[in-house]
Amino acid sequence: MSTDTAADRRRESGSGGALSGVTRWVENLGETAFAYLLLTPVFVILGAIAFYPLLRTLELSMFADPYTDPQFIGLENYVALFDGGLNGFLPGTTTFLPSSLSLTAILRSSLMVTLIFTAVTVLFETVIGLGQALVLDQDFRGRRWVRVAIIIPWAVPIVIQGMIFLLMFQPNIGFATPFLADLGIIEGTNTLNDPWSSLFIVMIADIWKTSAFMALLILAGLQSIDRSLYNVAKVAGASKWQQFKLITFPLVLPTIGVAILFRTVAAMRVYGVIDTTSKCEVVPSLSCMVVANLGINTEVAAVIAFVTAIIIAAVVSVIIYQQYREGF
Amino acid sequence: MATESDSKTSDGPLNRWASRSIRNPERTYRAMFYVAAIFFIVTTMFPFYWLIVLALTPNNEILNGIGLVPEGFNVYAFVEVFQQVPFHFYMLNSFILATVTTVIVLFIASFAGYVFGRLEFPGRGVLMLLILAISYFPPAAFVVPLFDIFTGNSPIVVPFTEIALFTPPRLINTPAAMVLPFSALFLPLSIFVLTTFYGQIPDGLEDAARVEGTTRIGALFRVIIPLSAPGVATAGVLTFISVYNEYFFSQIMALGNDYTQWSPLVGGILSYQTQYTTSFNLFAAASIIGVLPVAILVIVAQERIVSGLTAGALKE
Repeated sequence: MSTDTAADRRRESGSGGALSGVTRWVENLGETAFAYLLLTPVFVILGAIAFYPLLRTLELSMFADPYTDPQFIGLENYVALFDGGLNGFLPGTTTFLPSSLSLTAILRSSLMVTLIFTAVTVLFETVIGLGQALVLDQDFRGRRWVRVAIIIPWAVPIVIQGMIFLLMFQPNIGFATPFLADLGIIEGTNTLNDPWSSLFIVMIADIWKTSAFMALLILAGLQSIDRSLYNVAKVAGASKWQQFKLITFPLVLPTIGVAILFRTVAAMRVYGVIDTTSKCEVVPSLSCMVVANLGINTEVAAVIAFVTAIIIAAVVSVIIYQQYREGF
Repeated sequence: MATESDSKTSDGPLNRWASRSIRNPERTYRAMFYVAAIFFIVTTMFPFYWLIVLALTPNNEILNGIGLVPEGFNVYAFVEVFQQVPFHFYMLNSFILATVTTVIVLFIASFAGYVFGRLEFPGRGVLMLLILAISYFPPAAFVVPLFDIFTGNSPIVVPFTEIALFTPPRLINTPAAMVLPFSALFLPLSIFVLTTFYGQIPDGLEDAARVEGTTRIGALFRVIIPLSAPGVATAGVLTFISVYNEYFFSQIMALGNDYTQWSPLVGGILSYQTQYTTSFNLFAAASIIGVLPVAILVIVAQERIVSGLTAGALKE
């Protein structure tokens, strides 16, 4: 460690005792110790804001009345959540699981609404994102500006995204409501208080904002395809459609898979656009149910939050497994 | 000849176009490409056009029913926005929160990016996976204890024991209640972006600095970070936009949407909704003003955003 002592001597002559002492101590640490030292701030902040709250949420979810008169009741809150015992704590007429298989009952179930929202938005975002990525993958004049136009929705603050769709679908002023109501897709009056219409609008809003994100992920996959494959295909006389079907699509499919998992996890946290455009009573997502009970019925908020976390953890473990297989 | 066959069929131009396309399929693909490009531009940009229509139309005209073109040219709405609600203070709060978070995130993520990008040590893969995994969890999974702690109602307890460590001061309605969750939320993305960039600096440059007598930390700040300036800018832009756009903690941790209590953009926009329930032109004008800073950032820094999002999201 001869270079280190040279460095230390310069330090010592330059600055005072305590600082140079610390510097020398840091300099003489082994590589592993040095790595862990530099990672300390990350794990302090993630520990305090993520790991600790996650564990504490699990603990709170196992108590009745956790602050004023705590009683450990194990999994009873979870049982109550699934057999409908906690439905009284959810805003409006919301339930956790649907009370029957009718459409009305399904749209009152926060679990079902979240799953429907996730499935529909991710499906459409994948298709639209693939289309946008294919457009952006071409070389043409003005590509830069088309790319800006496609990305901008991604950068719109959620509160403004919600406001935009409120203004488009507010039945008194929005142009979109009479049009879609005539087609029988949404309610013509009181649209933003109607569960189906509001879910529809919130899904459209999410697809508008997030397709661009999907497009960028898929574009990265498209651009990593070896261009010489297309030259070979052209020489062999393959049409554009055959090139897409036999080269582009199979090679970009793994990227699409990762992007879908990624978006699925993100879509399940939906809250802001619902809160701005409609109301949590009307479109009850899981995050909505947590917020509605925040600081009031802590154990109810905690049990729903942890169930959400478990669902997401299941998807995350698939992602991690995939990353691991590809050699992280 | 061509004119003769045209006059015989009623849909002449279409026929001609179809037969030419069959002979030369490139034309069809070109046409499909233009149709798709125009469709995507119209669908992504139309909502902004609608905001402009509403902002320029006087509110009584809006309430009488409005078509797809502005009825009037009421630029005054953009002044009224600031008179009704002190919207500039909400935006200032957003800027301060976003800037502070960005600085904290860049600082902490630089250390982590250096460690993951340039050092080999046991546990590296596991720790990166842990950070990746935590970044997927929804804010709702963390918010319950955080809210109770930040309101000062609950001490910090060692989980699954009844040992209370201490009760922190009431942080809600202060910048700390938002900057802390924002930092944790957006730290992983910056770590992955910076890991990629710092990992690409050749070892020789760092070694040269070390031979010159710089400490390891000194080499990070004097050699690696300056050489990775584009990466730092990318991480910074992404963090700034993410904080500016965040909804969940911005709304929950500033009770009452009051700008004197650090409520950011979210609170500003929502206060029109609660106080001026039918001033639709003001909703639209405020939304346009609120979206301008990020729109400009996207136009200026689009290359950075695209490369950062793809590098950070697809960790491959």
